[in-house]
Amino acid sequence: MIWMAWRQHRKQLLFTVLGLAALAAFVVPTGVAMRKSFADKGLDGCLSSASQRYPDSACVAALDSFSNEFGGLAIVGVLFVVLPLLVGLFLGAPLVAREVEHGTHRLVWTQGVSRRHWAFVKFGLVGAAALCAATVYGLGVSWWIAPLHDAGSIGSRLSPLLFDMQGVVPIAYTLFAVALGIFAGILWPKVLPAMAATLAGFVAVRIPLAVLARPRYIAARERTYPVIGAESAPDPDPDSWLLASGVRDASGRMVAPHAEIVCVPNSGGPAGGCADVGIDAYNWQLYQPGSRFWPFQWIESGIFVALTVLLLYLAIRRLRRLT
Amino acid sequence: MDPVLETDQLGKRYGRTWALRDCSLRLPAGRVAALVGPNGAGKTTLLHLAVGLLRPDAGTVRVFGASPYDNIRTLADVGFVAQDTPLYRDFTPVELITMGGKLNRRWDAALARHRLADLGIPPDRPVGKLSGGQRAQVALALALAKQPRLLLLDEPVASLDPLARREFLQSLMGSVADAGTTVLLSSHLLADLERVCDYLVVLNAAQVRLSGAVDDVAASHRQLVGPRHNGEPIAGVAEVLRASHTDRQSTLLVRTHGPITDPMWTVHEVTLEDLILAYLADGHAQTSHAAWGVLT
Repeated sequence: MIWMAWRQHRKQLLFTVLGLAALAAFVVPTGVAMRKSFADKGLDGCLSSASQRYPDSACVAALDSFSNEFGGLAIVGVLFVVLPLLVGLFLGAPLVAREVEHGTHRLVWTQGVSRRHWAFVKFGLVGAAALCAATVYGLGVSWWIAPLHDAGSIGSRLSPLLFDMQGVVPIAYTLFAVALGIFAGILWPKVLPAMAATLAGFVAVRIPLAVLARPRYIAARERTYPVIGAESAPDPDPDSWLLASGVRDASGRMVAPHAEIVCVPNSGGPAGGCADVGIDAYNWQLYQPGSRFWPFQWIESGIFVALTVLLLYLAIRRLRRLT
Repeated sequence: MDPVLETDQLGKRYGRTWALRDCSLRLPAGRVAALVGPNGAGKTTLLHLAVGLLRPDAGTVRVFGASPYDNIRTLADVGFVAQDTPLYRDFTPVELITMGGKLNRRWDAALARHRLADLGIPPDRPVGKLSGGQRAQVALALALAKQPRLLLLDEPVASLDPLARREFLQSLMGSVADAGTTVLLSSHLLADLERVCDYLVVLNAAQVRLSGAVDDVAASHRQLVGPRHNGEPIAGVAEVLRASHTDRQSTLLVRTHGPITDPMWTVHEVTLEDLILAYLADGHAQTSHAAWGVLT
């Protein structure tokens, strides 16, 4: 049966490997170039020596230069977010749908192998291939993006899209996409509808989870500081993910949403916005600290792995009734 | 002897339409049975129920005494060639034979290879590039390599030209005769199967119209020609299947339950073909006229 599954899917697996190779052809050279530039500019020293939030001007210039050189690549990185979906569409959705569409299920399900056994082997082989591909891709992109993140070129690792393309979540997304594709192919045993359903289902789960659920995995922290007095936002963790911010007056009422006001003390006169909000007003921010990157990665991966298991269970149950 | 295939009040429904209904039949071992009926009569449904691809919605189906649904122990004894002979089109015949060996505990790869070699089928060409007749032969070889005790074939010759039909059926009969395999093969044309089958199941509009050994069926049906008939009973006649009348004369196709001795009637034998047509004409549905909004 393993021979059979391998023979049937070797072409798809070959294309997956080719896809990864194409990805590597982009990621490896640019990644190496970034690291080289990072070292040449002495950014390691800049970032580690000080533990200071305000590096000296030479370092600022070096960081700016690095960001200008490579910051644009982050846009390309956004494309990586769709890769798990592609695996689900091309490996998952046709798995059962194509058998039924071509009628070959009538051949293979009337041999001496039960449907459940058949499903275990096929799902297992394709799932294992997807797992390997996703691991390579997830680790590769994490490696690639690290200098950009360290140099502060792209913002918090927790922010949407950046969170989604590194760490372990790409692996979980890929497994979920494959399971979703298989399940859709059993519900609509035709390749094209199954692919469409996979696409719709993947987007319908991923986006609400990322937008609505992710900011709430762990209770967000609040930070307040006066509008007068502070030189700038006291940011203990430059990698934190800002969820909401604004200016509140003394009673706590939001007077200027999405704003931050900082006035120079004792400047006198109607300086900036301070005159409008009163001296008792304070800046308010709701944020997730950057140190929660890995807890968030494991929580989100856990959710998608659980969904994967559920979908595979339902798929195998339904497969026995598929006629 | 226990029947190889037995159905009792078997029914299968798609949505609200019954594809097969109240189907009761017993197929004795060693028979080569023809399953005849027009397109859409339920032949494929019956075969899929027998090979465990479908689960009955009513009644039971038993193959070698067990329900075949997703039952690999029973399926090990059943060879099946589905309609349009589905095969993995990018596999070569050699790979398909290897596949069969991996998927079945009992597998005679040498038999399959010999068959295909005798037929001159190229071993290394993807089956998607073979002709329809060659593909049908490959599918049959795969089914026979299981050394099945029951062989089910769904319209195996429908896509073949007349020469390929004859070759296919000849090679099929050559293989099953020695092993004593029970065969059930479907077609919408009896002419395809008349030469090879010794048992007959006629299916029309989701129901079994007739089933029995060809000899019994032939012996129990007669054509009667005599004076104009107005429906009064005739001694020895169980059922009038079809009647056509002229002013003075009637021609009846009847099922008999005894000798017809009435000298008024001239008795003729009937061909199997006429007989089946009579059973099939019987069930023609008129509902579509209403659906089309036309009057008959």
